[in-house]
Amino acid sequence: MTSNGNTTYLRFGLFHRLGHFLIIISFFGLVLTGMPLVFKDYGWAHFLYNLMGGYPTAGNIHRICALITFVATFLHFAFLAFETLVRKNRNIFWGPESLLIQPKDLLNILGDILWFFRLGKRPQFDRYIYWEKFEYLSLMWGTMVMAVTGFILWFPVQSANLVPAKLATFIDLPSIALVAHRYEALLAAGFIFSIHFLHTHLLPENIPVDEAMFTGRVDEGHFKHERGAYYERLKEEGQLEELKVPPASSKAKFVSKLMGLPLLGVGLLMVGFMLSSLICSLASVFVDLTKNIHFDIFSIFAF
Amino acid sequence: MVSLLKTTIEVSGASKACRFVFISCLFSCLLFFTSAFSSESLFAQENSECFECHTDPAEVGDKVRVDPVTGEVELVSMLVDEDAFHASAHGGEDFYCIDCHADLEDVDLEETEGGHYPNLQPVDCITFCHDDPAETFLEGSHANLMREKGVELPTCKHCHAGEKSKMFTPKADDLYHRMDTIGKCGGCHTEYYDSYRNNLHGQVTALGHVDTDIATCVDCHGQHTILNSSDPESTLGPENAKETCGNCHPGASGSFLKHIAHPQYKNLGYYKSAVVGLLNFRKDPGQLGSIIKSPQIILTILFVMYVGILVITFAQFGTHMLLSWLGTLLDERKGKESKHDK
Repeated sequence: MTSNGNTTYLRFGLFHRLGHFLIIISFFGLVLTGMPLVFKDYGWAHFLYNLMGGYPTAGNIHRICALITFVATFLHFAFLAFETLVRKNRNIFWGPESLLIQPKDLLNILGDILWFFRLGKRPQFDRYIYWEKFEYLSLMWGTMVMAVTGFILWFPVQSANLVPAKLATFIDLPSIALVAHRYEALLAAGFIFSIHFLHTHLLPENIPVDEAMFTGRVDEGHFKHERGAYYERLKEEGQLEELKVPPASSKAKFVSKLMGLPLLGVGLLMVGFMLSSLICSLASVFVDLTKNIHFDIFSIFAF
Repeated sequence: MVSLLKTTIEVSGASKACRFVFISCLFSCLLFFTSAFSSESLFAQENSECFECHTDPAEVGDKVRVDPVTGEVELVSMLVDEDAFHASAHGGEDFYCIDCHADLEDVDLEETEGGHYPNLQPVDCITFCHDDPAETFLEGSHANLMREKGVELPTCKHCHAGEKSKMFTPKADDLYHRMDTIGKCGGCHTEYYDSYRNNLHGQVTALGHVDTDIATCVDCHGQHTILNSSDPESTLGPENAKETCGNCHPGASGSFLKHIAHPQYKNLGYYKSAVVGLLNFRKDPGQLGSIIKSPQIILTILFVMYVGILVITFAQFGTHMLLSWLGTLLDERKGKESKHDK
């Protein structure tokens, strides 16, 4: 990694950093109060659940955090509406600036697969790399599923009565919501705490924390290395100068590390707990399945 | 003392007729003193008199006890924890030890070597006090089914056992008791226990919160009148379910009452029966039909789908992660080498 020069560029504005901060706060609250219910058979879940305040309190924290997520989601959609309707900015739906999957991304994926097997150079990425787009889209989808099913579970009586009585013997809305909420939560928590962390913060060049999302700034060398196409495009269009900002103060860097590292630790710890519990559960299922099979390992020495 | 005073008065009277009275009074006085100061005699009428010995580990120990109903032999401590007793359902002001256990009026203490005769009387919960719940239980369909299947009926104390010992009968809302009954119902109904744990009620109780705001087995299925949920008379029958669910979910009605409290999607037996139904489809299409028509099928499909999504997502992104890590590290090493060459 080159760290030449003091030139730093703005990657995320204050609005997006605020959105990310709100999502961090609410997501951690949601996971820490919700995950113990999924892994109810394990000691760490009991400890964590009691740490978060036990039965009514943990649930209330969960609901408050859900409301914070709604605020963040509302801000995001308000931003999208403002960009498209007021500023007439089409770039967020199509083109290199968009967070939606573009034809170029499919080429990038192919290029990356070739690069994995040392068959070519790594493609130059634009503003958003393809896996970041997948993360964004799955966050959007996940938030939607979690919000709808969460509301059904929050108001089970009212939501169940939305189903007509004739269908109710076949469609049990609260139960469906519980299954979807639980496994979507596992998917989201597992994804954020392992894949997202490893993809952004724990990459060899970013370890331990990618400060760009906290300070909003990225230095030139890192920028060129990570998003070459974006850098070149900005340079050609002459927009690079506009994004030039003074480097982050050491205080801001310290604060972002101070915030990022504990959250990183908690997230990785959660993944560890979840993974080990999953292995234990699978082992018990295996024992359950094979308890009627009697196989004497020493019978191989019989002849 | 009163009798002594009496005698002196009567002696001063000095009549012949009074002499008999004097002697008899003296005799009764003697009896009074011997009875008052003899350590041999016990009249356990008050609770405090029982507790005098039964809270002292030096006085009482463990006794072998044969259960009068089940014939089970067990070692029972004769020690009574006063606090636990007062916290129990029978710990109020109006209850005395001798309400259930016989008193010591006719016990010959010399014959029993200082103590009293063991097993004064087997405790009988039913005859004088709890005949109504016992009758509803013993004549209910749950008990009848158990008799039909030759399963031994539980005694009162099987379920109503205290935390420290069977002797402290817990109150209905006692947290230990509520937790304990889940395990005791689940001990036989293992399949329903497992599926209960997959429901939100069971998840919360598994984490140790068993207060009355979360449903345990008895909150939905009733305490002594345990009828099959398909029975319209049961607490989960179409009419009664409104009240049963409405205790916690105000306004429960209509579609909400069709809730599946026991989802089967983690039950291996359910998948086996589905496979059997699929194999027997030509002979007996109704078997598979009933599985497809049941509300469990949507939950099961959703569950299997999510397991698939989870496996695919983590397998794919995990591989991507590892490969890109490896690639970055190799590129870095290459970069260093090329710099070195220059």
